[in-house]
Amino acid sequence: MHSVERGQVVLEARGISKRFGEVVANDRIDLQLRAGEIHAVLGENGAGKTTLMRILFGELQPDEGEIFFQGQRVRFHSPRDAIQLGIGMVHQERKLIPAHTVVENIILGHPDTGTVLDLSRAEHRIAALCERYGFRLPLQAKVWQLSEGEKQIVEILKALYHGARVLIMDEPTSVLSPPEVERLLHSLRTMASEDLAVIPFITHKLPVVLEHSDRVTILRRGRVVAELETKQATEQSLASAMVGREVTLQVERIEVPIGEPVLTVDDLWARDDRGVLAVQGVSFEVRAGEILGIAGVAGNGQEILSDALAGLRPVERGRVRLAGVDITRVPVLQRWKLGLGYIPTERRDVGSIPDFSLVDNVLLNYYSEPAFSRRGVLAASEARALTGQLLREYSVVAAGPEAPARSLSGGNLQKVIVGRVLSRRPRLLIAALPTHGLDVGAAEFIHRKLLEAKRAGTGIILISEDLDEVLMLSDRVAAIYEGQFTGIVPAAEASKELIGEMMAGLRRGRL
Amino acid sequence: MWNLLIISLAAAAVFAIAALGELIEQRAGILNVGLEGLMLLSGTFGFIAAKTSGSYTLGFAAAILCGAVVGLLHGFFSITLGSNQVVNGMAIWILGFGLTTYVGYPYTGPLGLSPLPKIAGLPPFFLLAVALAAASWFLLYKTHLGLKLRSVGENPSVAEVSGISVVRLRYLSVLLAGVLVGLAGAVYSLVYNPVWSYNYLQGWGFIALALVFFSLWNPFLVVAGAVLFGVLWQMSLYPELLFPGLFSRYIWRTLPFVITIVVFVALSTRWFSLRWGATKPAALGVPYTREG
Amino acid sequence: MRAQVAGYRLRIEKRVETRWWHASLASVLAIVVSLFLLGFAFLQAGADPRQVYAEIARYAFASQFGLPQTINRAVFILLCAFAFIVPLRAGLWNIGLPGQVYAGTLAAFGVVYLFGGKAGMNAALAGWLVIPLMILAALVGGGLYGAIAGFLRGRFEVNEIVTTMMMNWIMLWLVAHMIREGGPFMGRTAEGEGFSLPLSVRLPQVLNVPLTAYGAVLLALVLLFFLGKTTLGYQIRVLGHSPAAARYAGIDTLFISTLVFGLGGMLAGLAGYHYFAAVPGVYKIPKSYGDFGDFSFYGLITGLIARSHPLAAIPVALFFGGMAGGARFMQGKLQLTFGIDYALLGVLMITMVAFQALSEYRLIVERAPTPVVLPLEREESRVESPHH
Repeated sequence: MHSVERGQVVLEARGISKRFGEVVANDRIDLQLRAGEIHAVLGENGAGKTTLMRILFGELQPDEGEIFFQGQRVRFHSPRDAIQLGIGMVHQERKLIPAHTVVENIILGHPDTGTVLDLSRAEHRIAALCERYGFRLPLQAKVWQLSEGEKQIVEILKALYHGARVLIMDEPTSVLSPPEVERLLHSLRTMASEDLAVIPFITHKLPVVLEHSDRVTILRRGRVVAELETKQATEQSLASAMVGREVTLQVERIEVPIGEPVLTVDDLWARDDRGVLAVQGVSFEVRAGEILGIAGVAGNGQEILSDALAGLRPVERGRVRLAGVDITRVPVLQRWKLGLGYIPTERRDVGSIPDFSLVDNVLLNYYSEPAFSRRGVLAASEARALTGQLLREYSVVAAGPEAPARSLSGGNLQKVIVGRVLSRRPRLLIAALPTHGLDVGAAEFIHRKLLEAKRAGTGIILISEDLDEVLMLSDRVAAIYEGQFTGIVPAAEASKELIGEMMAGLRRGRL
Repeated sequence: MWNLLIISLAAAAVFAIAALGELIEQRAGILNVGLEGLMLLSGTFGFIAAKTSGSYTLGFAAAILCGAVVGLLHGFFSITLGSNQVVNGMAIWILGFGLTTYVGYPYTGPLGLSPLPKIAGLPPFFLLAVALAAASWFLLYKTHLGLKLRSVGENPSVAEVSGISVVRLRYLSVLLAGVLVGLAGAVYSLVYNPVWSYNYLQGWGFIALALVFFSLWNPFLVVAGAVLFGVLWQMSLYPELLFPGLFSRYIWRTLPFVITIVVFVALSTRWFSLRWGATKPAALGVPYTREG
Repeated sequence: MRAQVAGYRLRIEKRVETRWWHASLASVLAIVVSLFLLGFAFLQAGADPRQVYAEIARYAFASQFGLPQTINRAVFILLCAFAFIVPLRAGLWNIGLPGQVYAGTLAAFGVVYLFGGKAGMNAALAGWLVIPLMILAALVGGGLYGAIAGFLRGRFEVNEIVTTMMMNWIMLWLVAHMIREGGPFMGRTAEGEGFSLPLSVRLPQVLNVPLTAYGAVLLALVLLFFLGKTTLGYQIRVLGHSPAAARYAGIDTLFISTLVFGLGGMLAGLAGYHYFAAVPGVYKIPKSYGDFGDFSFYGLITGLIARSHPLAAIPVALFFGGMAGGARFMQGKLQLTFGIDYALLGVLMITMVAFQALSEYRLIVERAPTPVVLPLEREESRVESPHH
């Protein structure tokens, strides 16, 4: 692998197919990756991107098809085989061990590590890599202490340290603020100039793709629908190829009169599981009929904030009032009765119980209501009726109210959760990443339902890592960075650039 | 008093060696709550082998072999079949308790071999326990194998994409654990208290399990905790040495168990629980299945 | 896991959906296989296992002496199984059955002691008052002792397996303190035994079976309703499936974990009352009380085999009640060593876990497609590398 020339095909997939039960994730996919190129693979959620790249990395075995490395047929039984040939991968969810140091994470599994660890030698080599590609990292730190962006850099370094000549990246931009994305792409350019093949797999951020890649392959429903040089592409052509129809990238915002404050938060502080103050003095209010968007890169305290507001986490300091009532130390159930509704980030095992029927899942937010619990006995028929009604109203694809939650797709399950929470007609709704990982149809549906709730006078906190979603729906936008709000801006003044810089902590708006 | 300390250290050796075995597999993500059963099995088979052959060597060999086999059995359920590790551990415990009651009963009574000599006045297996603690620490924190073992216990899918075979390393860990716990069972039944009787282990396996949780997965703290419990146990047996006439001797026997619970509660303070949460292997007790 | 044999491809796959009969079949198979394995012990003793089992069954279920013994043991096992099932539904492991059994027993005997019942067999106590008080005391004693583990789990996140096990040993020595060497409950005649209950406070029998037996069956129905249909039962199930979802739904996890262990302790306490204060021929805390404590672990395995279903636990408990008594009987007859029933307990536990784990997999046999490229031996070349 020493003498690879620029433009030469390094890794090639021919006719790759992969099924999961009934679902065809990859359908006869061909892909050619060349040294020195940044080759973006575009596709919606569920288009088969992740499956394809996990096959290229040896994590999954294809049902059909062949992989060629520098013209030779290869067969990967596990990632170890791919790593040996110089293929590295940066996963979307971090594949790092938070309790270990940066150095330990990077050298893990490297054949030259030796029997007894020589950490200082390894550290020197890693420092040299950092220098070359312009990364800055505290190498002695434990990974849990790093920001999401830094963690991604650790993964890139790990791939390079293990000798990657082909670097596959799954959604590299999703955890980064816009300025961080710029910096990352700059480093990737340097790598490509050294004849590495870099392959980012991306869902959206089409402008980024247009600006920085050499070649684009577009996947739809497991098939390659287009492969072209980036020069020939436009944003609109890429988008319609991805979705298969002309898309309107905007939903209409509804203007309703903004009412009284439903939630007032004063100087809120809260700790995460490791005892770190992850929310540091946040203050804001939400009014009836208003959507307050909270934009932030993952891991900047938004989860802790939403859990603290919902009562799942103790408040260290500060005060929270719901419709005038101090709920700072009020138990969860009491908060729901006072009109709070919470759509949690985790759909399975928090928002729902996979083994339970849909009826029992709907009861999660209803079991203590007098109409559903008579003298301590559950009212089964009422629960079934409500569930049936939700399934119809939200056009959920399910075998029926008694179907187990695990049998539903992510989008359908989320519809049940959203429906269950909204059917309580909350005064305040906290929606944490409500459309994360959903297909376009389900996401649109949920956006519509959120807007309906807004029209009915619910005050909504929309927490999202997707800046487009926040800007599209919110009346005001707050950005959270390292546990603090860097500003709260009315929608009219909130440009993508401004919020992006606030998310990166580079700029402060009004508070 | 000196004798009390010596015999406490002999008891500590049993706690420490068993807990070190458990610590190693827990670091790789395998939780075996059936230590008591594993120690009963290895201790009983070691006892039978030693008694019938008259040889300590054969006794220890049988115990270690038995520990390894039962450890691998627990591993097969937990790693290959991926079933609930708590259930598996319970099964090992009840298997040990039930089977040894039947198999060991004809051998009820003392072992009848001359006791092993002391080294520098100290029980030899306590010295071995200290050496094993140092070795485990070096293995886990200073070698690449240890780093791999720990990463398998923290996040197996990370280990897998780093080119490490999770299954192989977890089997290695249960094998090591089985050998150590098997040895500990024999140290009890051949050295510390070489008399076989019905359910003779009296909960020592569970105390060893608790020790691993107390120790924040630190081998040296395991030894320190083992010494503490060794002393407590002897105090509970001979309370008249320290507090003559206070309570009946049966009340004193509850002491080590009461203290275990008290320590657990005391350790739930935020200072400790944060550290506990931070050092606990993140994938402890979670089965791992590779996709494919 | 895959293998290829003579043109057929064998695959072992995790089942997508497990149906109730998979689990039931696994439980039945586990029992059959364990009995088969245990048969070797009888073979070794020179007996035909089939005849042995036939005799055990005759003794346990068809003999005048054996049947009541079977029922009494089964009731004890059944109540212990309930004590195990209730916390398990909340995802918590109650290993503290022996401790809770004796907490209830000591409390029940404490009532008799307070009423002066230690005086002798013929002490005339007001049975209509003392018997209900004994039952109540057994429930309260067992319940409180059990609730400690649940409270510590809910409040301090202390591992309940370790706590309940420690509490078993604590209770074991407390009982020794009470009945041995001049302890307050020591019997007048035999050293190391508890005092015998006066005739006036022994629980009446109906059809040769103590009333507790009927109570236990009734409790099965009550538990079925409680766990399946009530709001509290729902909260218990939610906690058992996902503690995070329980917190999200505002379920008070401290209350629920204390409750389930309290209920479990009450049921175990009742089991203790049944066996030591209501079974004919016992009516005292015997010298070998430790064995009887360990006997309660049959309740644990019964709960697991019945998959936490209170009604399914009834036949399983009867089976064990019969096996335990019958095996002891055959042990005497065949001159086997002590503990054949314990061996069954151990072997059954491990085979059951094995079968329940295996029931989540299925074997697929399909005709292998004619291979285009000969399949590579795994060891031969892991990667067809272009280099080296």
